[in-house]
Amino acid sequence: MLIEVFGPGCAKCETLVKHAKAAVEQAGGDHQVVKVSDYAVMAARGILSTPALALDGQLKFQGKVATSAEILGLLQG
Amino acid sequence: MAEVRCCENPVPAPGRAGWFRRGGWLFLALPLWALAYSVIQRLAGWVAFHLFGLAPGSHLGEAVAFFLYDVPKVLLLLALIVFVVTFLQTFVSPSRVRDALSRRNAGLGNAMASLFGIVTPFCSCSAVPLFIGFLRAGVPLGVTFSFLVAAPMVNEVALGMLFAMFGWKIALLYAGTGVAIAFSAGLILGRLRMERHLEGWVQDALGAPALGESGEERLTLSSRIDQAVQGVRDIVGKVWPYILAGISVGAFIHGFVPEAFMAGLLGKQAWYSVPLAVLIGVPLYSNAAGVMPIVEALLGKGAALGSTLAFMMAVIGLSLPEIVILRRVMRPRLIGAFVAVVALGIVLVGYLFNAIL
Repeated sequence: MLIEVFGPGCAKCETLVKHAKAAVEQAGGDHQVVKVSDYAVMAARGILSTPALALDGQLKFQGKVATSAEILGLLQG
Repeated sequence: MAEVRCCENPVPAPGRAGWFRRGGWLFLALPLWALAYSVIQRLAGWVAFHLFGLAPGSHLGEAVAFFLYDVPKVLLLLALIVFVVTFLQTFVSPSRVRDALSRRNAGLGNAMASLFGIVTPFCSCSAVPLFIGFLRAGVPLGVTFSFLVAAPMVNEVALGMLFAMFGWKIALLYAGTGVAIAFSAGLILGRLRMERHLEGWVQDALGAPALGESGEERLTLSSRIDQAVQGVRDIVGKVWPYILAGISVGAFIHGFVPEAFMAGLLGKQAWYSVPLAVLIGVPLYSNAAGVMPIVEALLGKGAALGSTLAFMMAVIGLSLPEIVILRRVMRPRLIGAFVAVVALGIVLVGYLFNAIL
């Protein structure tokens, strides 16, 4: 699955990237983590608060540093 | 292999231990908090005047006692207030606020935006996506500005701290004047028709087609409590250096600055006290919690309430980092108008309260 993490690059966004990578490592399989910091892209995707996380193009969390367990739950869900 | 801690388990174990972890621990934590809060003043006095042997009433003794009392007091208050605020904020989301504000007219829209600005959670990194998201959804520029001004100006943590430290009158005064400034600033900036002073890429982004809508996350009570705990960790972990700095300044003022000096500088009689407070406040980047001990010491030394409120609003509501972030979306003229309108509002509020109180 494609995991996108949206954020301009503040500390919270970096933490979310770390959590996403940790979740991927645990889940195994073929997943990819991509960081998106372009404001224009965020606007087009309807993101209002960062950090945000999307799974296969669908937004799952906004304005929240999801834990790696939460992300793992989504990957296995 | 990443380590998974007990509390991050998505399916909590049933039974009593699970109940405790999902929020039951609050029944233990709250009385402990109250106990700690009730003893710190005596403890600070004992440490300063007995353990350290400083003389009560002396400059150094009073400064040290102020410091020893204020550090645990401000940290305890901050932790409780951030917990409550973050918990309540899980019930408000920026997208709901955006939907409520879209296609509102000036006036009612500005009033609603100013009130929403107080309660809506968003970190300053989100200011740009939020700004664009609101405009894309048809929220008028002036209404968006009311929101953007109210959000930092009436900081919900500052509001809680003012209430806890100085009572409801000052807290209400702060919230009321902040909302009034946000309301009028948005109204004025909306009238000025500043849309053309947005950066080019923002104008492009406003016209670009939307790529799907976001789903709302459903929250359980225990996940709301978890988020509140996370908020306390994040915020207290981040702001404690500011608090220590603020308390050191506050302790110095409390112990060493003569009252006549402070009354001359920030008192009611000095006509320049309000603009001076704003000029000192803007570049002084701190946050709500860090500035409280300074406010406490200033008021104690006879600084006028209007000047002190103006100082606090300038520190929290008009910070350079925030302006740098907003510069990404606005051209210099719009930024200039924004800063000028807000600063003017703060100065007027300062004079108003110095005159009537």
